[in-house]
Amino acid sequence: MTSNATPAATASWRQRIAGGAAVRLESLAVLILLCVVMAVLSSAFLSVSNILNILLSTSVFGVLAIGMTFVISSAGIDLSVGSILALSGVVGAMLTSNLDLPWWIGILGCLATGALTGAVNGFLVTKAAIPPFIVTLGMLGVARGIALVLSDGVSIYGLAPQMVWLGQGRPFGVPAPVIVLLLTALIAHIVLAHTRFGVYAQVIGDNEVAARAMGVRVERMKVMLYTLSGLLSGLAGLLFAARINSGEPTAGLSYELTAITATILGGTNLFGGRGSVVGTLIGALIMGVLQNGLNLMAVRPFYQQIAIGAVLILAVWLDRINNSEGWRR
Amino acid sequence: MLKQCIVAVLSAALALGLAVAGASAADKPTYGVLMKTLSNPFWGAMQKGVEEGAKGAGVDIYLQAVESDQAAEPELNACNTMLQKKPAAMITAAINSTILLPCLKQANEMKIPVVDLDNNLDPAITKKAGVDIAVHIGSDNEAAGAKGADWLVGQLGKDAKGPVLVIEGLSGNITGKKRAVGFAAELKKQAPGLNIVASLPGDWDSLKAANITNDTLQRNPDLVAVFCANDDMALGALEAARSAGKDKVIVIGVDGNTNAVKSIKAGRLNASVAQLPYLVGMQSVENVKKALAGDKVEEMTYVPTLVLTKEVIDANKDPLLQYVK
Repeated sequence: MTSNATPAATASWRQRIAGGAAVRLESLAVLILLCVVMAVLSSAFLSVSNILNILLSTSVFGVLAIGMTFVISSAGIDLSVGSILALSGVVGAMLTSNLDLPWWIGILGCLATGALTGAVNGFLVTKAAIPPFIVTLGMLGVARGIALVLSDGVSIYGLAPQMVWLGQGRPFGVPAPVIVLLLTALIAHIVLAHTRFGVYAQVIGDNEVAARAMGVRVERMKVMLYTLSGLLSGLAGLLFAARINSGEPTAGLSYELTAITATILGGTNLFGGRGSVVGTLIGALIMGVLQNGLNLMAVRPFYQQIAIGAVLILAVWLDRINNSEGWRR
Repeated sequence: MLKQCIVAVLSAALALGLAVAGASAADKPTYGVLMKTLSNPFWGAMQKGVEEGAKGAGVDIYLQAVESDQAAEPELNACNTMLQKKPAAMITAAINSTILLPCLKQANEMKIPVVDLDNNLDPAITKKAGVDIAVHIGSDNEAAGAKGADWLVGQLGKDAKGPVLVIEGLSGNITGKKRAVGFAAELKKQAPGLNIVASLPGDWDSLKAANITNDTLQRNPDLVAVFCANDDMALGALEAARSAGKDKVIVIGVDGNTNAVKSIKAGRLNASVAQLPYLVGMQSVENVKKALAGDKVEEMTYVPTLVLTKEVIDANKDPLLQYVK
């Protein structure tokens, strides 16, 4: 009796802690399969420099997707990440290029701009009780607009060299953005799967009423989640600007959709309750590999969009098949 | 498990099916060609010119583009991927003046000569970034804008008065900016009575250009002319003006693309400063071949432009017309 009386919610936490750590095999299978196919079709695919090239291409939207994983796990959505990316990059470029401030202020400026914009999202979602879809859709326009106003629509060239190193440097031959992506993923994985913050985020996504009843401070959590997504968008903006040594007000157009796609490909449930950072990383890599392979084969970009859409549907379908055969009641 | 295997095979077939471009003959040198987008007839014509030039020069080309002319980071990624194939030369049309610089710098390090197709790079910025461009080729965009103004004044006379609208390209894009600046400067010089009431970015988007034209007509119902930095926008502005009953507003575009030519022939669009992208594409391959062979090539090559009007097209006398596709 006593052992059976464990509250259901607690049991599902445990499941989640274990489940969150596990990589979804369907996504991994799709990734491996894609790599095999691409390696067969293009001789240039399987080389160290091309694999680093894929990771480099994945780094900016991979960081965005990691933030998105947290928000979607909690049954939220953040459509403003691409615009926050542009705004943060522009702010970072202005601080170091136009105002000649030191590099660390530029980096902090990017991150702070992202976090602050994300916090505004979070406050509007909780205090004003506006649905996140609408808040972040609004912010998509506002942040992009501010980026265009600040920069007068023109890219701001010439960041501090230390910032540029973050985008173009190659410590031990590995592009710096790749290292940033992997470190971010490692930390985010630990936070989402093994800390109370991460578990609460998924509990809110699973059942907000129950989470409240359990004493989770839902409002505070949500503000933190959107702030985190904003912060990571700021980091992605920093990487983007550093990669090309310039703050672009038009950077990251429609990246919110790319980030959502990578997140869903990785097995995070679009309606909340289940999220995996490792899965998201795999999802982002699926898109990176697909794009790279198709580019290597000089497939026209129109077909590439079809391929990415098809793989998304395929991966979610695999998930469905597996769930209906497997553990789901 | 079986189901999963079936799905896996299906997806492999999908990827294979998409791999429409096969391997090419190995011994001819291959040039990498990176375009902005193929969904605009201007770039379609340039692609045809590049292919024709490659045929003539006896080289293979490996052509790639991104899904839209705003997909900046995907273009950088495509550029890096192109380097993996180690082409003999890189012919690139950058979406803006900074996005491709890291890739082009790497091309420099790999000793692959770089061609700036259609003058999308700003020499001041490439110099600052330490990127070496073997050949800039394209149209003189400022001159193209000026030619548009010159033609307009020819129609209206030097003493003409009235408001004029300028619709620029994508914010931050040097091509659109130069065309608008060239137009404005020449107009001011030749007919100071023609007053530019607004110069707004239309982002190369015909719908946006139509909206800008509508809005401006609200404020300036006596609008005399609209100059657009490309033909797509000019066609949008034209539709907006005509549907508002403004049949006298003169609309001028730049590019001379297929749709614009059709519209001009039908007596709708007034003029387009044709950029001859076909010729630009063809000469880019020829020039880089010369540069690779060690011959001297002008660092800046300007391909001529031509003001297309119904009269010019109907007369069909100008030799440059053969390159209008």
